[in-house]
Amino acid sequence: MAGALTDEVKSAEGGFLQLHKDYLDANSLSNDLLEFNKAGIERFESLKFPHPKHEMFTFVNTREIASTEFALNPGGTCSADVVKNHVYACSEQSCLVLVDGVYQPELSDLSALAGKVELADFEKAFSDEKLKQSLVESLKKETDVFSALNAAFAKQGVFLKVLPKAQINKPIQVLLVSTGAEGKPAMSAPRFCVHIGKHAEVKIIVKTVGDGNSYFSNTVQDYFLDENSSVIFSQVQADSKESWNFSKTFVRLNQYSRFKSTHAMAGSKLTRNNYQTHLCEPGAELTMNGVSVLVDKEQVHQYIQVNHHAPNCISHQYFKNIVNDKSRASFDGTVVVDPGAQLTQSDQLINNLMLSDEAHADGKPNLMIYADDVKCAHGNTVGQIDDEQLFYLETRGLSASVAKTLLTTSFARSIIDTVEFPEVVEDLKSLLLSKLERNHA
Amino acid sequence: MLEIKDLHAGSEDTEIIKGISLTVNKGEIHAIMGPNGSGKSTLSKILAGHHEYEVSSGSVTYNGKNLLDLEPEERALEGIFLGFQYPVEIPGVNNAEFLRMAYNAKRLHKGEDEVDPLDFDEILDEKMKMVEMDHKYKARFLNEGFSGGEKKKNEILQMAILEPKLAVLDETDSGLDIDALRIVANGVNNLINENNALILITHYQRLLDYIKPDYVHVLSKGKIIKSGDKGLALELEAQGYDWLTTTTN
Ligand SMILES: Nc1ncnc2c1ncn2[C@@H]1O[C@H](COP(=O)(O)OP(=O)(O)O)[C@@H](O)[C@H]1O
Ligand SMILES: [Mg+2]
Repeated sequence: MAGALTDEVKSAEGGFLQLHKDYLDANSLSNDLLEFNKAGIERFESLKFPHPKHEMFTFVNTREIASTEFALNPGGTCSADVVKNHVYACSEQSCLVLVDGVYQPELSDLSALAGKVELADFEKAFSDEKLKQSLVESLKKETDVFSALNAAFAKQGVFLKVLPKAQINKPIQVLLVSTGAEGKPAMSAPRFCVHIGKHAEVKIIVKTVGDGNSYFSNTVQDYFLDENSSVIFSQVQADSKESWNFSKTFVRLNQYSRFKSTHAMAGSKLTRNNYQTHLCEPGAELTMNGVSVLVDKEQVHQYIQVNHHAPNCISHQYFKNIVNDKSRASFDGTVVVDPGAQLTQSDQLINNLMLSDEAHADGKPNLMIYADDVKCAHGNTVGQIDDEQLFYLETRGLSASVAKTLLTTSFARSIIDTVEFPEVVEDLKSLLLSKLERNHA
Repeated sequence: MLEIKDLHAGSEDTEIIKGISLTVNKGEIHAIMGPNGSGKSTLSKILAGHHEYEVSSGSVTYNGKNLLDLEPEERALEGIFLGFQYPVEIPGVNNAEFLRMAYNAKRLHKGEDEVDPLDFDEILDEKMKMVEMDHKYKARFLNEGFSGGEKKKNEILQMAILEPKLAVLDETDSGLDIDALRIVANGVNNLINENNALILITHYQRLLDYIKPDYVHVLSKGKIIKSGDKGLALELEAQGYDWLTTTTN
C-alpha cells in the first residue's frame, strides 16, 4: 500500500492523493461523510486528470493544476467587509456565505426565508441514508474528474430545501468566498445542493469572489426542480485573477418546471464551468444566457450539456464572449434529444467578439438528435467590431475609442440586460463593462 | 465652404472617383444626380472620411482646412454631416442615448457643457416632432428593425440635433412613400438657411420638387459630366440619363 502510494506520488494525481491523506488525518469525519469522500477519491483515481485530447477538455489545459502543489485551507474566515461588499442589497436577509466551502452561519442571514426553506449542513444531510447512497451511486457514473475531486474533499457544504409552494421574492444569494493561503495556493471544494419543491418559485444568485490571490476553487452545485417549480438564476464570477475556478452545475428539471439563468464571467487565470442539465419530464423549460468579458490572459471555458429526455420540453442557450489581448474563451455545448423526446424545441447561439488578433474564441456546438419531430437550431459566430457601425458612430462625432467602447459594451449588454436583478446588473456594469472602457486606439 | 479639386479616389486598385471638381458656398443647395453605380455614395463617404477609400490625387478643402487630414469624428465635430443611403443597424445601442452622446460630443467640442438626459429629452421631443417620429423610437436600438422610412427620418433627426454646416444627404428620398418624403423634405427645409450648405444626392428628381437646388450636377462613371440649374433635373426626368452618358462616351 505504502509502496503503491510512493509510485503514485510521481504521477499527476499523486499530489492530490497525498493531499487527501492529509485531509483525512486532519479531520475527524463522520462515517457517512467519510464514505462519500472515499468514493470521491476513488472515482478521481480511476478518471485521472484529462490527457491533452480529452473530449471534455478540448480547449482547457489542466496541466498546471495537475502539477501544482496545493495546500488544504482550513477555511472559515474572511473579513466581514468582503461579505458586506458582495452581498447584494436585495439579498441581505437571504444570504448564505461559504468561505472556502465551509458554511458560515454567523456571516449568513436567512431571516427573510423563515418558514420557506430548510437548511441542513453536509454532515447532517448525510445522515439521511437514501440521500447518501444516491450521491455515492452517482459518483460511480461521474465523468468529470474535477467533480470527483470535489466529492473527495467536500466537507462543509449545505443542502437547501425550498418547501413546496414557497414563493420567495427576495433572491437567495449564495456567496462563495475563496481565501488564498500563505505559501502554497489553497484548494477548496465548495458544495451545495438546492432542492426546489413542487410549485415553489425562487430566485437564486451565486457569486464567487476571492479574498486572497492564488487559489483553486472547485465547486459542485446541484439544483433539483420538482414539478411546476421555477428558478431564476444568476451566476456572477468575480474571482481573483490568479485563481483557478472549476465548477460543475447539475440541473434536473421535472414536469413543467422552469430554470432561467444568466452566467456572467469576469474570468481568471483559468475558469471552467461544466453544466449538466436534464429535462426529465414533459413541459420543462431551460433558458441559459451567458456573457464573458476577458482581457489580458484571462480564460473562461464553458462546457454544457443539455439533455432532452422527455417530450415537449424547451431549451434556449445564448452565450456571448468578448475577448481582448491574449484572453481565451471557449464554448463546448451539446444538445442531446433522446428517442422519445418528440416536439423538443432547442436552440443554441454563440456570438464571439474578438478585439485582438492574439485572443482566442473557440466554439464546438453539437446536436445529437434521436427523435424525428423536433425543432433545433444552433449557430456560432466569431467577428470583429463592424467597420460600418464604427464609421457610422464616428460620423456623428464620437471618437473611435468611444465608438468602440459603445459597440463592445452593447454587445455584452444584450445579455447583461436579461439579468432580472437590478443590483446584479449594476455590479456587472462595473465588473464587466468597465473592462471595455479603455483606450482601444 | 467646400472646395473639391480634381479628386481621384477609389478602393484598393479600382478608381471610383475619376476627377471631380465642385465648389459649394454657404447658403447653397447642390443636387448630385446620376445613375446607379456612378460613385455618388462613394463621394459622400469620402467627404465623411471613410477609411476604406483612398484618395490618389486632388484636394478637398473645407473652411480653409485640408479635409482629408481629418478623422471622421473631427469632420463631424467641424460641422459635416452625412445622411446615409443605408443607415446601419446597431443592436444594443439605445437610440436616445446615442443621440445624446452625439449631441454632447458636439457641445463639448464647442466648449459647452454636456446636457443631462432629462434636458436632452426635451430637446429630443421637439426635434422628433419636426420629423413626425413616434416617441417609441427613443427606446429602440439604433435603427434596428426600423422601416426604410423610419431610418431616413432618424437620419434627419440626427441632422436636426447636430445642426451641421455642411450636410450631405445620400438618397434620403429612396424607399420613401409620398408622405414620408414630404415629412423628410420639410424637415430638411427647416434645417437649411443662409449659414449652411447642402449636397443632396438623389437618383430621382421628385425630391427636388420639395427641396429646390441652386445647382444640379450629373455624375456618371466617377465624373461630373454636366452641371446646370434646376432645369437640368427636369430634363433628366423627361429623358433619363442615357442621352447624357451616351453623348459623352
Ligand atoms: N469599397 C469598394 N470597393 C470596390 N468597389 C466599390 C466599393 N464601393 C463602391 N464600389 C464600386 O464603385 C461604384 C460606385 O458605387 P457607389 O458610390 O455606391 O455608386 P452610387 O451611389 O452612385 O450608386 C460601383 O461600381 C461600386 O461597385
Ligand atoms: Mg448610392
